[in-house]
Order: sequence, then C-alpha cells, then structure tokens
Amino acid sequence: MDEEFNWLEYSESMEATAGDGEAPGKSRGLRRFLPGRPSLPRLRRGSRAASGPPSASDILEGQDERALADLDERLRALRERSVAASQPAAPAHQALYDVDDLLASPDLQSKPGGVISAVALSKAQERQVEMLRDIVGGPSQSQGTGGDRQLPVFSLDAAPRLLGTALLILVVCLPFVSSDYAEGELPPSVFPEDRHGPRDMYNLLDNLSRDDYVLVGFEYGPTAAGELDLLADLLLRHIFAQRVKPLIVSSNPIAVVHAQNVIKDINRSLSSADAQLVHGEDYFLLRYLPGGALGLRELSENFADIVRISARGLPTGLEFAALEEMTELLLIAESAEVIRNWVEQVLPEAEGSRLLVATGYAAQPLAQAYAEGMEQIVGPLFGIRDAFTYGEKLRATFGAFVSVEPPVGPVIEPAPVNAESDSQAELPRATQAEIEDAPATALPQPTETAPPTATPFMTDTPPAPTLTPLPTDKPAPTATEASIRIVEVTSDQRVNIRLGPTTVHDILALGYKGDMFEVIGSNGDGSWYQILLPAGVEAWIAAFLVEERVVSASEFAGAQDSASASESAARAVMQLGFTLRLGKNRPRFYQAQPPPSGDRPELALHRDRSLETPRLQAMTLGTLAAVLVIVFGNTIYALRGLLRGPRAQGR
Amino acid sequence: MSNRTGRGQGFGIALSAFVAFAVGAVTALSLLLGDNPALFGDQPGSAQLAGLLALPADVLLRLVTIVVALSIVIGIANLLTTHVGRLSRGKFYSAVLLASFGFTVYWYVTRRGDTSLLEAVQVPIESALAALLCLSLLHGGSRVLGKRADIWGLLFVAVAVIVLLASTPIAELAPVQAWRDWLMRVPVGAGARAMLIGIALGTVVTGVRALLGQDRSVRG
Repeated sequence: MDEEFNWLEYSESMEATAGDGEAPGKSRGLRRFLPGRPSLPRLRRGSRAASGPPSASDILEGQDERALADLDERLRALRERSVAASQPAAPAHQALYDVDDLLASPDLQSKPGGVISAVALSKAQERQVEMLRDIVGGPSQSQGTGGDRQLPVFSLDAAPRLLGTALLILVVCLPFVSSDYAEGELPPSVFPEDRHGPRDMYNLLDNLSRDDYVLVGFEYGPTAAGELDLLADLLLRHIFAQRVKPLIVSSNPIAVVHAQNVIKDINRSLSSADAQLVHGEDYFLLRYLPGGALGLRELSENFADIVRISARGLPTGLEFAALEEMTELLLIAESAEVIRNWVEQVLPEAEGSRLLVATGYAAQPLAQAYAEGMEQIVGPLFGIRDAFTYGEKLRATFGAFVSVEPPVGPVIEPAPVNAESDSQAELPRATQAEIEDAPATALPQPTETAPPTATPFMTDTPPAPTLTPLPTDKPAPTATEASIRIVEVTSDQRVNIRLGPTTVHDILALGYKGDMFEVIGSNGDGSWYQILLPAGVEAWIAAFLVEERVVSASEFAGAQDSASASESAARAVMQLGFTLRLGKNRPRFYQAQPPPSGDRPELALHRDRSLETPRLQAMTLGTLAAVLVIVFGNTIYALRGLLRGPRAQGR
Repeated sequence: MSNRTGRGQGFGIALSAFVAFAVGAVTALSLLLGDNPALFGDQPGSAQLAGLLALPADVLLRLVTIVVALSIVIGIANLLTTHVGRLSRGKFYSAVLLASFGFTVYWYVTRRGDTSLLEAVQVPIESALAALLCLSLLHGGSRVLGKRADIWGLLFVAVAVIVLLASTPIAELAPVQAWRDWLMRVPVGAGARAMLIGIALGTVVTGVRALLGQDRSVRG
C-alpha cells in the first residue's frame, strides 16, 4: 500500500515538533535505535540531558501534539470535520440534529462523491469503495461528482443487469405456473443420520407434555419472513399441537407483531370447528425487550417480572420464579448477533434447559459452531429445506392420531407433491410413526443390520425382501379347515415390530409374550418373519423372538378374541393409536392420547402446503440461474480482460 | 464570563467522566463477584453476600434498559417534531410520514390484535428490499472478474459457485455437495469460531479501555 505508515519517519517528525534543538540532519526518532548509531540523543525536553537509553516513559513524555502538516489527508479531514461539528449547528430550540439537514449540509455535499467521501476515507479505501460501487453497477466518481446523476433506464450499460434480472425472475416464476419445470429432488421426510442437531431438536419438542412451558425467542422481522416463516410456523404448530404453552418474547419490536401474525395464520388454517388459539390461554406474547443484549440480560435476571406483562401491557397472570422453570428454550433468529446474545445473556440462567436454535442460512455457521461446542445448545434447523423435512415429520407423527381423512378444504392437505408422496399416502397412518433413535427397551437384536444411511420412508422405501414359502414340518390340522401359519411371541420382554426386516427400520408396534400374528412371508435367510397385524398392516418381526406354528383358522381367531378380552390385550399391540417418541439421552415412551382430550393433531396437519413444492423448485431453478449468470458474466469479463491485455487491466 | 463558562464545562466533563468510570467499575466488579458464592468459600452467609454484591449490577443494568426504552420514545418524538418542521417547509414526504404514523397508531389502538398493516405493507416492502439486495448481489457476482481479475477474484467466484451449486438438490451434483460440506465445516466454521473469539477479546479490550479512561465515548 502506498500510504503505509512509516514509524521511523513518524518518530522523527514527532521529535522535530518537540524542538529539542538538535542540529538538522542528525538522526532522530526511532531511527536512532538502529544499529550503527554513534550516540544517543536527548529525548527529554527541558534541561535534563539523556544520560542513557530512553525508557518507555521518556518516549511517552516526549510525545506532543503532531503538527498539522504531519497528518495525512484522512486525519486532517477528520480533524476539520470534528472542528466543524463542535460548532453549534442546530438551533437552540432543537434538542437533536435534524438528519435531513446534516445530510444536506454544504460540508458534505461539497465533498466529491457525496456522503461516503465525507467520512474521510483514505485513498486506498476510496479505491475499494469505487470498485464495490462499480461492481454493483452504481455511478462512479469518474462519471460525475454528484449523486444526482440519473442513469437512463434503458442503456447499454444496464443491459446485462436487466437481462440477468429478467432471467432470474422468469426462472423463479416458472414452477408456480406449471409443474413441468420441476427440477431437483424434494427434501427427505426425515433428517439424515449425520445431522443429530435437527433430529434431537424434533425429539425434544416432541417430548414436551401439556404441563410444560417453552420460552420462544421470536427474533426475526419481515425481512427474514420469506426464509423463516415456514420454520416458525411448524415449530409453533408442533408446540401448540401438544398443548404446550409457549411464552413468546423478542428484543425486536416488530418481531413481536410478526409473531402475532404467524399465530394468526395458524388460526386461519383451522376450520371453524376447531378451537382457535387464544392469547392468554394457549400462548403468551410477552412484552418487548428493549436494549438488545441488555434486554435479554434483563429477561434472564428478572424473568418473574417480565412474564407478568404481555405485549399489550396487560397482566398475563403467569407466575414464574426464574427462567429455570422453562422446560426448553426455543430461539428463532435471523442474525448471528442475536444468537450470540441469547447464548451469552439468557442461556447461563437457564440451567437444565436447552436452547433449540432455528435460523437462516446467514447465521447457520455460527449456530452450528455453538451447537457443536456446547451441549446445552441443540440444532440448528435452518432454511426452507429443513422446514420442509420438519413438516413431513410432523405430518407423519400426528397423522398417526387421525384415523379418518382430514377435512377437505382449500387449506388442508393439498395434493401429493410427487409420485413418491403418492405411494406414501397409500401407507396406513400407523406406518408413519417414526423414531429417531434406538428403542428404549434393550431387546436382543438380530445380527442382521443395515448400513446407517438416511432412510426417509417417502423416498427410500424399505428393501423388498424375497418372500420365500415357509417350510413347515408340522402336520396340517385338518383337511376341511383352513390352516394359518402364525408366529407366537415367546420372548419375556416386549418385542419390536418393525416396518422392515432390519433393526434400523421404524417400529410400528410392540408385541408381548403370547401374542399371535399371521405370517405372510420371511426374508431370504429366515431371520425375520413378515406378519400381518390385526388391522391389515404388514410388518416384520425377528425370528428368534417368536415361535412359528401352524394353527387352524378357528384356533387363531379364538386366540385373537380371547386376547382382546383378556387383560393382556390392553398391553398387546398398540397399533394405529400408538406413537413412539424418544428424547435425547432420555428415551421415553408415550401413549398417545385421543385428540379431544390430549394433543391437537389438527394443528400439525391442517396447513396449506400447496405452495411448498413450487417454492422449493423455484429456489432450485433460481439458484441454477444465479450460477449461470455469475459464470457467464465472469467468463465474458475475464475474456475481455485477456483480450485487452495487461495494460488495459491495469488502468 | 467565558472563562468561567469554560471552567464550568471542564468541571462538568471531569464529573461526568468520574461518574462514568465509577459506574463502570462498580458494574464490572458486581458482575464478577456477584451471584457467585463459590468465591467466598463455605462460610455462612456467603450466598447472601454474593447476592448483595450482584445487586448494583442488576439495578444499573435495569436502569440502562429503561434508558434505552426511553430513548426510543425520545427518538419518535424527535422524528415527529423534525417532520412537523419540514412540513412547514412544504415537504411532501413529511406529510406522508406524519399521516402514516397517525393512521397506524389509530389502527392499532382501535383494532387491537389486527396485524393487517404489517401483512399488507411492512412484509411486502421488506421482502422487496431483500429481493433487490439479492439482484444486486447477483449482478455484482457476475462482474467480479471484470474488476478483480486475480487469484482472489477467481477464488471468490469459485467458492460462490460451489456453495450455490451445492445448495441445489440435484443428485448429479453430489461431489460438489461434498466440497460445500468441507467449506462450511472447515473454513466457515473456523471463521465463525474466530469471530466469537475476536468479539470476546474485543469486548474485553473495549471494556478495559473504557474503565481506564482511554475510550471516552461517554463524554468523559
């Protein structure tokens, strides 16, 4: 850099200003410390002469105001501005400066380049600003001094920009007008195995019960609505569906209103028969926290006071002693700074709770670093694709509650997104129950294992085993009565009945000793039986846990009837009304409650999904178009630079 | 007279500096010692002592929050007075601003819980601004090599293309996704951690400078 600061020259000029009376031409400043200097100078002003090497205090004492001539252009400009600013510019009656007057002041307008130059940039900085301005297509200083120069709307210079913009808009709009322009795959319906954060986050929220309270930091405004609204909507629906009461708080004033807007959208999606979410009963919108990080600190320190007042300044009726009483903390934030503030100011006071983080692409790296470094932080969920996967999981989990088709309407359960979702729609509800971890019951598992790959059942259907006829060495009961091959559970422990013939497949139901199931096949090596559950659902059970028999149809039906009448029937296969939920480091089983008295699955299921798929496809196409524009534009510029040669480039 | 005024101003500056540094020191000490009974061992009453020491920081920081909230009110008042003044000079946009302000206040006071204005005005405007930013970035990205045809410009474009391509869910781009994963995990992750460390160090340095009086942004 041509304006690199020279300490040697600076120290010399400083000393010259001090006027120590040394002869001109003699080495001064730090130069005197260089090797080969014959004698040491007198650094101190006054009568005392230097008798040895100067100490740091001597040097400091020798410092004085620098001469104006020694200041570089940038410092001189700053000094002039500070002197000008110290003059009373505003009228006496005006307490604060009028921004409009400041921006329009002659001091600023007279600077070449307008306001930016008025902040006294160095020449190097000015060159960088000029380069940035040129890159984004703004008017350069060489093209004119004032910011008032109007570029013609249609000029040759603006043509590339217009073409790029038109291409992007066209490509992004295509998926919304026709399904022929679908490009790329939809996100999976479960989170990949290697992404523990989102999986743990889902499980933790799924483990909440209706007595729990969740503190929700709603820290984004309309600017990030396009990226985060879907995620916020799903997370809140998940919480509401379990009748957990969220306490929504924000250090962003407009986010408080926006949170209200998101909940209003959720209410809109409910049919008139469903109870609407009510403030003060189903959720609490707490008052705005002014002061950024300090406001969040107040939240953690004075939680009891803050939860007493709603966003409208009315009493909430909530009585909490401390932040620790929150079961979990959920943060939906758009910026890395807000995440940092929550981690630094709020989390230390929430012992025992975890901070679940959902954010956008911009703040994802920081959130990921936090999640990997701190056990108390879980996540992050980020972006629209994660939101899509979360929605699919939510639909699968709560779909198990619903035995009838959801109400048909314009906002409910739109058409399947693709052929794969068609096949998924054919699956019974119970098969959609998923788990994300090993079962809590430590059952002996078969040795056959599948590779630990993501197995979204929408896109990655279980491997179809070869069904081989079952060899039987037992005599058929009678010739007149149909015989049925069954397996009877012989294990004393509860056994898992799975969607496929491996231990990584989802658990559909549980079986207990004495339960009988009709056999319809087995896998290649006979280590798993394919069975038929009472509701006609096909499932798999490990062979070493059961004993195979052939019984008559009447015997099998009688066994089924007696089992249903006996006490053991209550703990028999819990199918179609059963969901299994596992939490991080705390596996728990939950018996599903019927919707009227327990969870509210309609909140998770009744939402408008009609635009989700076109939106994802528009994102894909838009990204491809952006890559095309960037590559094409840079190639043209690079070729042009090469053709013009190094001389033109240096200009 | 002017000499006396200057002397008074000097005294005022010294006093404000003293108050600022004293409050800063008390707050810092209170935060360091307060609510930490382990510092005082197992002696009886250590918890009470720690709580007592934490009190000044709690009170002062709560005061700061109140001041910040008050500054918002003052800001709104100043905005309104400024634009009322501009209105007298015939500024049309000031009239629009004042009318919009009045209408918004009326709307929210009379229709409690109605967020229609946010949906119809604020969200579209901010979304449009974000879209414009996207277009500007795209245009800038397409001209990088035109202005900076060196290794750094090339690196910038290459990384941008890799990250963008890897974000598209296309199976044929799986190798690019592996590159993106590495980029996000190693350089970007390192940058994020470095930012955290840098912010922490910067906060400490700024705090120490303020407490020692070297940073006099408090008019001291």
